[in-house]
Amino acid sequence: MESSAIKSGALVSLQDLHQSSPFFKQGASLRVTGKLQEFSVETAIAIVVDGNAKLKINTQHLRDLSFQVGSIYQFIGELLIQPDDEAILQARVGRNVDGIDLNLYHQSLQLLRQFQADHLSTT
Amino acid sequence: MEQLRRLYNTHVKLLAFDLLSLTQTPSHSPSDPISFSRRGTFFFRAETVGTITSRELKPNKFLKFTVDDGTGCIVCVLWLNHLVSPYFSRCSPPSVRLIAQMASRFAAEVRLGVVARVRGRITSYRGAVQITVSDVVVERDPNVETLHWLECMSLASKCYDVRPS
Repeated sequence: MESSAIKSGALVSLQDLHQSSPFFKQGASLRVTGKLQEFSVETAIAIVVDGNAKLKINTQHLRDLSFQVGSIYQFIGELLIQPDDEAILQARVGRNVDGIDLNLYHQSLQLLRQFQADHLSTT
Repeated sequence: MEQLRRLYNTHVKLLAFDLLSLTQTPSHSPSDPISFSRRGTFFFRAETVGTITSRELKPNKFLKFTVDDGTGCIVCVLWLNHLVSPYFSRCSPPSVRLIAQMASRFAAEVRLGVVARVRGRITSYRGAVQITVSDVVVERDPNVETLHWLECMSLASKCYDVRPS
């Protein structure tokens, strides 16, 4: 149960964000993690990748965050799905997470989802 | 009674969705501490780790902020009114000043986008569970949140959900 107006960013991997995914919804609040592949200062659009998956991030509202290609970043924001079905995350917070153990992170995500599902089914 | 309060001094590590689903237990007397329960276990204090996603400051009154751990958003309230509060007028002024300074330092640490470890008493406001903050530590290790999730899940199955015999 949410207790505030601020929505929690659901933990997703970039691979989860395909068109048939339940996470691929207009306005969905998400938390994504990926390596910075490109960043445009003019448009404030960053592209992050994780394996074969990539996602555009609109960073215009972020402050005090420098962008270095090759570093790993994590963003929380809302998904904007454009008319051509391309998605862009409108980030409201972001941080550099260089040093994160991505294998452990992804494995823990799966455990977390199972844990939440088990708890919701028993209450 | 001892069994009911076995976690009284423990800042239990709960995931946000779990914490927010706690039920406030009715108190039998005004002197009973406020407690919340889930599956027959009573909780009084909690620890959460997550990203600060909102911050609302009322100077010299309180700082209200939200911690998003990926499973939910927990509202946290850090009181900043120690120097004018009637509650603290009973304490020695040097102690109150020290508490006020610490709270002010914690408030300065809370910034949008940082990951913080927040501990405090579990309370409720208008029916919603929240944390009344006792301390805040900004965590810079990017693996800290992952560790917190794993700790929460492990403690739930090995400790919090285990009925004392």
